[in-house]
Amino acid sequence: MIYKEEGSIFSIESLNEKVFRLKIFSPDIAEKALPGNFCHLRVNQTYFPLLRRAFSFNKVEKDKNSFELLIKVVGLGTELLSRKNPGEKIDLLAPLGNFFSFSKRSENVVLLAGGMGIAPLFYLIDFLLKKKYSPEKITLFFGVKKREELILVEELVSSGIKLHIATEDGSAGYRGMITSLFYQELKEKRINLKNTKFYACGPNPMLKEVSSISRKLNINCQVSLENHMPCGIGACLGCVVNTVKGYKRVCKDGPVFDTREVILD
Amino acid sequence: MNPDLSVRIGKVKFSNPVLVASGTFGYGEEYGSIFDLNRLGGIITKSITLNPREGHPPPTTCETSAGMLNCIGLANVGVKRFIKEKLPFLRTLKTKVIVNVAGSSVEEYVKVVKRLEGKKGIYLLEINISCPNVKEGGIAFGSNPESAYRCIRAVKENTSFPIIAKLSPNVSDIVKIALAVKEAGADAVSLINTLVGMAIDLETKKPRLTNITGGLSGPAIKPVALAMVWKVAQRVKIPIIGIGGIMNYRDALEFILAGASMIQIGTGNFVDPECSIEIVEGLKRYCKENKIRRVGDLVGKLKT
Repeated sequence: MIYKEEGSIFSIESLNEKVFRLKIFSPDIAEKALPGNFCHLRVNQTYFPLLRRAFSFNKVEKDKNSFELLIKVVGLGTELLSRKNPGEKIDLLAPLGNFFSFSKRSENVVLLAGGMGIAPLFYLIDFLLKKKYSPEKITLFFGVKKREELILVEELVSSGIKLHIATEDGSAGYRGMITSLFYQELKEKRINLKNTKFYACGPNPMLKEVSSISRKLNINCQVSLENHMPCGIGACLGCVVNTVKGYKRVCKDGPVFDTREVILD
Repeated sequence: MNPDLSVRIGKVKFSNPVLVASGTFGYGEEYGSIFDLNRLGGIITKSITLNPREGHPPPTTCETSAGMLNCIGLANVGVKRFIKEKLPFLRTLKTKVIVNVAGSSVEEYVKVVKRLEGKKGIYLLEINISCPNVKEGGIAFGSNPESAYRCIRAVKENTSFPIIAKLSPNVSDIVKIALAVKEAGADAVSLINTLVGMAIDLETKKPRLTNITGGLSGPAIKPVALAMVWKVAQRVKIPIIGIGGIMNYRDALEFILAGASMIQIGTGNFVDPECSIEIVEGLKRYCKENKIRRVGDLVGKLKT
């Protein structure tokens, strides 16, 4: 079921210079949204910007009939969204796309987030914890360019999961790319390859690296992709990605793909 | 009393003048999970070619001021799989299904329409002689009156469905093309397809689309489309289907006044997936409030 609804903005919370969290009241969507799903929203009722914007769910609180989106200001659309006020209405189309395939409670969960890629993985972690998964079985590798870009860390720490942080400039945690830290942990056998489900979301170069590590180690990792999506529901074919079975639609066949399947270049 | 929104093209009767444009509505199924497709006048499928096409490599779309560019490149399942996998769903609908046909040679158009001949669930064909994104096909036929005539004539001789010729705005005189396809036997014309356009990424100094240029659609092209519909309506006396940046019932009415008996919603579907059925409701309301018995009474009623 896809809902086309008018949600109402609950709150808008700035997390750093560029990133904010938009909390929206919308009972039907909050009821149905799963980790990996996304919301396609209209920035305003004028024709510039014209197309809807896609954001994955960052948090869903069914009991409060609301959900949250994590948004970084990168252009006019996100800039206008950052200036919204509580109480304003917002035109939503959701939940869209597929969702992560979940691990069993007995399995380990390893997640790799690069920058804003934390958005859907944060919801996945929260979802699993609410389903009584043990936090000790969940490990998150979170990489950003510099310390100021680290967001949601307090909430992640208090959840009790294992957290590894990397910054490219070394201003916090491991100095370097998150994939390097991940590979190092793998080599030193601190991550169990068997009985583990892997998830990743982040910029394309990072996902390419995750993909190549996965191939090297013969594991599968579920990656959540981002793309511009004109229709968001699979009709226009304007957001395709290459896979071993030809082009697939990020909005409808994804946004979650297996590294065994997707060809990132 | 409820106003009469029905329209006829050839022997086909549509419950209202609102169609959804080829390439923006897939094969219907996706939007069917958002609203009742039977509320539409009709659905136009993605362009169908003889063989399946993957389309151009991504990125194939980008947003521009009040519009968007695309160079999808006629990605489709091919006529065989269309009949086997997509038509059964479309056949369950009460709305009128129009199959859009494209080819890279006159022979290919003919082969596709022959395959579609007599298939239940199809009411009309729209012949795409105007796709700006494929070198060999589409636009090659629509860019001069002789080749447009040849293509439409060949199609007409090989199908019993009424046909709509979809015209390109990327020509020196669209009226000449419209006259040629009418002469060739087209039952209606639809215009306009997208305008050739381009966008550049300053950071990388690369074009935003892999095909370098693409087709511009959306509200940005509405004035161009409207002028072309009006020009064609002055000279060509077959039904005209107006397309180009229609976002609401008021836009639709402008096209109707300019001479369109029907309209298509394309990019509007992306901006608001319920745009098309809201236009149907808007037209109804407008006719009621203005005591217009038939929406058809407004066609071409522009005061000049």
